[in-house]
Amino acid sequence: MWGFYFNELVHSLPFFLKGVWMTVAVSGLSLIFGTIIGFICGILRTSGNTFVKLIIGIWVDLIRGTPFLVQVFIIFFILPSFGIELEAFPAAVIALSNLAASFICEIVAGGILAVPTGQREAATASGLSGYQQLRHIILPQAMRTILPPLVGQYVLLVKDSSVVSAIGVVDITRVGWLAVQRVPEGLMVFGLVGLLYFAICYPLINLSSFLEKRMTVVSTRL
Amino acid sequence: MISFKSVNKWFGDLHVLKDINIEVASGEVVVVCGPSGSGKSTLIRCINRLEPIQEGELVVDEMAVHDKKINMTKIRAEIGFVFQSFNLYPHMTALQNTTIAPIKVRKMKKEEADKLGRKMLTRVGLEDRIDHYPAQLSGGQQQRVAIARGLCMQPKIMLFDEPTSALDPEMIGEVLDVMKSLATEGMTMMVVTHEMGFAREVANRVVFMDEGKIVEVAPPNDFFTNPQTDRGKYFLSSILTH
Repeated sequence: MWGFYFNELVHSLPFFLKGVWMTVAVSGLSLIFGTIIGFICGILRTSGNTFVKLIIGIWVDLIRGTPFLVQVFIIFFILPSFGIELEAFPAAVIALSNLAASFICEIVAGGILAVPTGQREAATASGLSGYQQLRHIILPQAMRTILPPLVGQYVLLVKDSSVVSAIGVVDITRVGWLAVQRVPEGLMVFGLVGLLYFAICYPLINLSSFLEKRMTVVSTRL
Repeated sequence: MISFKSVNKWFGDLHVLKDINIEVASGEVVVVCGPSGSGKSTLIRCINRLEPIQEGELVVDEMAVHDKKINMTKIRAEIGFVFQSFNLYPHMTALQNTTIAPIKVRKMKKEEADKLGRKMLTRVGLEDRIDHYPAQLSGGQQQRVAIARGLCMQPKIMLFDEPTSALDPEMIGEVLDVMKSLATEGMTMMVVTHEMGFAREVANRVVFMDEGKIVEVAPPNDFFTNPQTDRGKYFLSSILTH
C-alpha cells in the first residue's frame, strides 16, 4: 500500500508546490509589510509622543496576548459584519502582517533602547537633527542588536502562516489536509508538509545564526 | 558669549541649579570645579540644552537658549561638546566621526569635510589614526578624536565635561595638552575638571560650585592660594592632600 500511496503523493506534488508558493507568498508579503510597519512603530515607540507610545503599547499587548488563530478569525469573520468584505488571501496577509509587525516593533524598540544614551547626546550636541541621529547614529548601531532576532522572527512567521489554512488559504498545510483525504497515510503526507516548511525555514535559521555570530564579532571589533 | 541670569533647574523635586548668574566673555577660559553632585556638569549641559532650564535667562552667542521655541540645532552647531565617556560613534572611523556633523549639519562636501577632518585629527596628534575605529584607540586617543570632532564644526565655544576623568593617568597629559593649545589660541572654553594644574595654567577664572550654587568665582591663583569661603577651603584641602 505504501508504494501506491507514495505514487499518489508524487502525483499530487504539483499541488504541493502550489501550496509552497502560497505559503511563500503569504509569508513573504507579510514579512515586507510587517517589517515596514514594525520598524515605524518601533521607532515611534522610542521617540514619539506619549499618546502614540501608549497606543502602540496597547496594540502590541493585545496582539501578543491573543492566539493568532483567533486574530485570523476576527479579521476574516468579524470585519464583514462591519461591511468590510475580505477574500481569504488578503485577510491572511493582513493578520500575519499585523502579528509580525507587533513582534518586530518590540525587537526594533529594544534595539534602539540598547544604544547607549551618550550616542544620542553626542549627536544632539553636534547639531544633528532627530532624523539624522536616527539614520546615521542610532539605527546603524541598533541594527546589530535587531538583525539576528529579526531573521529569527521571519522563521516564526513562515511557521505561523500555517494557521491561515483555517480560513481556506490553500497553503502547504491546507494542501496537506486535502491530500490526506485521498492518501489516507497521515504520517507520509504531513511528513512531506513538515519537510516543505523546513526547506523554507532552514536557510533562514542558518542566516539568523550567521548574523548572530557576525554581529558579535563586529561589535567586539568596534 | 555665555550669560546665565538667575537660572534655576530642577530634576523633579531636586533643585540642581540654584540662582546661577555668570557671564563668560569671548576668548575666556573658565574652569568649573566642585564636589560631585554640585551641579557643575548640569551647568555646562544647559548651555547647549542637553538639559533644559526651568527658570531664568540663558543667552549663548546672542541666542536665547531658555526660549523653548528657539531652534537649538543652529546654536548647537556653534558649540563643541566633549564628554567624560568620549561618546565616539563606534561604527565609524576616527575620520568619519569628525566629518559626519560638518557634512550633515553644515552641508559641507565630503572631500572638503575629509580635508577638514584630517587637519583637525592632525592637530590633536592623530594623523596616523585617521582610519582607526574607536575600539582600536586608547582612551586618550579617543578623547582627542572627540575634541577633533568638536573642532570640525569650527565652533565659537568648546565645552568639556570632565574630559580626563575616565582616562588612565598617563593619558591625561596628552588630552590636557590639546586643550591648553586651544585655550592659548583664544577659544572660548568652559571646562568641568579637577585638573588644578590645567586650571592654574590656562584658566582666566575658576568657578567653584557646591549644592547647585556658585559659591566662588575667582582668578585661579586667588582661588587656589586664598579661597574666600570655608566650603572652598575644605574642597581644596580635600583634593590637594591626595
